Amino acid sequence: MIQLEKIYKWHNNGNNRVFILKDINLSIEEGAFISIMGPSGSGKSSLLNIIGMLDEASEGNYRFLGQDVFQIKEKQRSELYKQNIGFVFQAYHLIDELTVYENIETPLLYQKIRTAERQSMVADMLDRFNIVGKKDLFPSQLSGGQQQLVGIARALIAKPKLLLADEPTGNLNSKQGEEIMELFKKINEEEGVTIIQVTHSEKNAAYGKQIINLLDGRIEKK
Amino acid sequence: MFRNYLKIAVRNLLKNKGFSFINILGLSVGMASAILILLWINHEMSYDQFHEKKDRIYEAWNKDTFSGKLQCWNTTPKIFARTVERDFPEVEMATRVNWPSNYLFSIGEKRLTVAGNIVDSNFLNVFSFPLLKGDPNTVLKDMYSIVLTETTAKNFFGDADPMGKQVRIDDKDNFTVTGILKDLPNNTRFKFNYLLPWAYLRKQGEDDANWGNNSTRNYVLLKPNATLASIAPKLKTLKRKYDNSELTNEMFLYPIKRWRLYSSFTNGVEDGGLIDFVKMFAVIAAFILLIACINFMNLSTARSEKRAKEVGIRKVVGANKGSLVGQFLGESILISLIAGLAALLIVQLALPAFGTLTDKKLFIDYGNFYFWLIFIGFILFTGVIAGSYPAFYLSAFQPVKVLKGTFLKSDKVVTPRKVLVVLQFTFAIILIICTAIVKEQIQHARNREMGYDKNNLIFHFLTGDLEKNYALVKNELLGSGAATSVTKTSAPITQGWSDTWGIEWKGKAPDDKTDFDRFSADEDLGTTVGLQFVKGRDFNLKQYITDSSAMILNESSVKAMGLKEPIGEIVKDNGREWHVVGVIKDFILQSPYHPTKPMIIEGAKGWMNIIHIKLNNKNTTADNIKKAEAIFKKYNPEYPFEYKFVDEDYAAKFKSEQRTGTLAGLFAGLTIFISCLGLFGLAAYMAESRIKEIGVRKVLGASVTGIATLLSKDFIGLVVISFILASPVAWWFMHNWLQNYPYRISIQWWVFAFAAGLSILIAVVTVSYHAIKAANANPVKSLRTE
Repeated sequence: MIQLEKIYKWHNNGNNRVFILKDINLSIEEGAFISIMGPSGSGKSSLLNIIGMLDEASEGNYRFLGQDVFQIKEKQRSELYKQNIGFVFQAYHLIDELTVYENIETPLLYQKIRTAERQSMVADMLDRFNIVGKKDLFPSQLSGGQQQLVGIARALIAKPKLLLADEPTGNLNSKQGEEIMELFKKINEEEGVTIIQVTHSEKNAAYGKQIINLLDGRIEKK
Repeated sequence: MFRNYLKIAVRNLLKNKGFSFINILGLSVGMASAILILLWINHEMSYDQFHEKKDRIYEAWNKDTFSGKLQCWNTTPKIFARTVERDFPEVEMATRVNWPSNYLFSIGEKRLTVAGNIVDSNFLNVFSFPLLKGDPNTVLKDMYSIVLTETTAKNFFGDADPMGKQVRIDDKDNFTVTGILKDLPNNTRFKFNYLLPWAYLRKQGEDDANWGNNSTRNYVLLKPNATLASIAPKLKTLKRKYDNSELTNEMFLYPIKRWRLYSSFTNGVEDGGLIDFVKMFAVIAAFILLIACINFMNLSTARSEKRAKEVGIRKVVGANKGSLVGQFLGESILISLIAGLAALLIVQLALPAFGTLTDKKLFIDYGNFYFWLIFIGFILFTGVIAGSYPAFYLSAFQPVKVLKGTFLKSDKVVTPRKVLVVLQFTFAIILIICTAIVKEQIQHARNREMGYDKNNLIFHFLTGDLEKNYALVKNELLGSGAATSVTKTSAPITQGWSDTWGIEWKGKAPDDKTDFDRFSADEDLGTTVGLQFVKGRDFNLKQYITDSSAMILNESSVKAMGLKEPIGEIVKDNGREWHVVGVIKDFILQSPYHPTKPMIIEGAKGWMNIIHIKLNNKNTTADNIKKAEAIFKKYNPEYPFEYKFVDEDYAAKFKSEQRTGTLAGLFAGLTIFISCLGLFGLAAYMAESRIKEIGVRKVLGASVTGIATLLSKDFIGLVVISFILASPVAWWFMHNWLQNYPYRISIQWWVFAFAAGLSILIAVVTVSYHAIKAANANPVKSLRTE
């Protein structure tokens, strides 16, 4: 599903080139559940952003579902992204002015899905995550765990093949974190959604089927 | 999707009530100003454009050279109309409109002086003034027919059918009402309450076939297929053909669409006219709207961080740039719609006052489809202009940066906004300087030595029996103590009604075409109006019986005639010889902005229309007026006592400039107001984005004043830049404007100093609120957030 070859990422800081990622080679099959670990500044989030097409690498090749991500046009990449990738953030990043229902609905709006279909999809999702009663509340009225549930629901609503999570439990207490991890595991196993998560916690990383350790922008060989 | 956007927009508006209020207020005030100006412009452009035959209607004009200058004027000989109808196949018909007449109307008990025009009977075939009753082809055929406007008819006859009723005019002649006109629209040069047939003018012996007497207005209707080009050369030589004393005269036709806005000529060439004013106000309207839009941009981008997160999220969940631009443009159009509706409300409330200010009856035609079309267009236009910068600015955010929180490079954000603020203040300062100079120029002209004493002086037309009973009236006025001096004249002392280049004197060069103002008075003119004699004496019929043919000159006249010893010289005018008995200092007869012209004042044998009365300053004015009224009623019972104060009439000369001054001041005020709203918002943003810096400075021991100064300093710099940009532009505008006034001020440096001081003061007051608030904030709080 994902092939990364010789991925480099750097910033120019004056005359110095500061490397964030160095020579990343990675191949991920569909249905994988991968945890990326590493200390702060090791390049975990940058790697996730490159995989999620939010950022470009300075050098290297990236193939996603057989397409060369860095070569195809902006529009095609955007389509590819919309159809296949869902994102979950540490800080949830819900739109404060929209209700739970509307937040979950938003990705569908950008995929031009008709109203009736949209309604049933959102209703399904609310049902599955047990948040039907909260659908008219605004994010500020929810607890952190609930907000992250909404964030995950939003990421999954468009039925992506790949779910990217950047420290999804970083702002949650351990019980809430555990619930989210259980949910990820279930999604991965039952629906076959490929998951890549960045995490600090060994315990959460263990939910993944595979762990990748990053240090100073390189994948540590085990 | 649209609903989602709408919800976001509405919730954002409600959540940030302060910002929304400033935003909508600024935009709606700007839009309201622009709408008012556009209404006025639309009104000016629509003058006389409703006539069905407007493409074929022309006014006859003269062009001739006087003292080396080519002059154009639109009074032409009475014989012109019938001559062109006969001589030129291109002409379908020509119609004359004489000067407005003020006749006394009597209908039963009712008596009133009413203003109207004497016109050729084909007038209504040329101009489209619809008749409610009567046939336009025949209403003015009979010498004793009269056409009334609806309102005039209603005044006299109430609800009864006026057709066929009798109107007695000047207690002499009875006229039959043959037609009722719909009331004249606002946007026409004509102003009459009734029309009388030309035959009546002829009957009174006022018609003439003299090609040298340019005394009326002639309008020409060309045939549908005729061209101006084919008739123009023939008109050039028309006068010379019929009058061999006309050597250089040319006549020409002036099209209806240029009458209102362009008819100002210098050296025989159109040189602007009202159109300059219209253009200037169009520019002001555009700028005020632009400034309101700039405000909107400034305030929207100032809030960009708050919206940045939303942009980032939307991009992550699949939004492309286009849909985000659409969303933000939609939001600004929504705000512009709300502002537009608020603007309509403001316009509706301001229209009466604005109408008074511009001396126009302006209104919004809500039933008009085009009005709504233009209004919607206006809203979309404003929304897109105001929203474009924020929309593209916001939608260009990179989600990774925004969501990570590394966004916020205030330098980049602030620079374009500083440019916008400079633009706003430049415009505001230009308007401040212009207002100050216009006001100064008006004051300058007001303070000008006028050459006579306008206080306690009234004038009255010699209506009805006043001419006949003049001696009795005068005696009683003086006897009763109401007046100290009374004089009969040709025209009010504030108005020039007659001028001539036809007078002769000893030593006049044959080609001298110097134009003299012509005035006449019976006696004691100097005492009544308070003239200053340089040589000789006033008219005095009691002492000098020959003073009825005496003449008084002003100093400019003496100079223009080149007379060494003017007293006793003979001046020939109207086939009469006048001997000069006195010389006065020049006084302002017409425009206080122009140099005084040479002037001749003829004695009692001259043409008399007005009575001037110097009221006795020992009594109260009310007392004097009451006595005078009783005397007028006694000797002229049929006519109402309708006097005018000379000082009020004189003040009216400043009306147009005062209006310019007031409008400039008004728009300057509005511009400053809108700009300040923007500055206020920007200051809020600056204070917020520098909150950490302020915290650190405070911890290091900076004082509140020090920090407030630090924050205000930047803005003062912006205002100073604006001032530097605005000054030359304002100077150039005002320098050109002042060229219209031969009697004018020179532009003083203090006007600029005043504008600079005022704008800096306003900016400081606006900014200081946020500056002081930020400086007073507890640093512990602001530093903890980091």
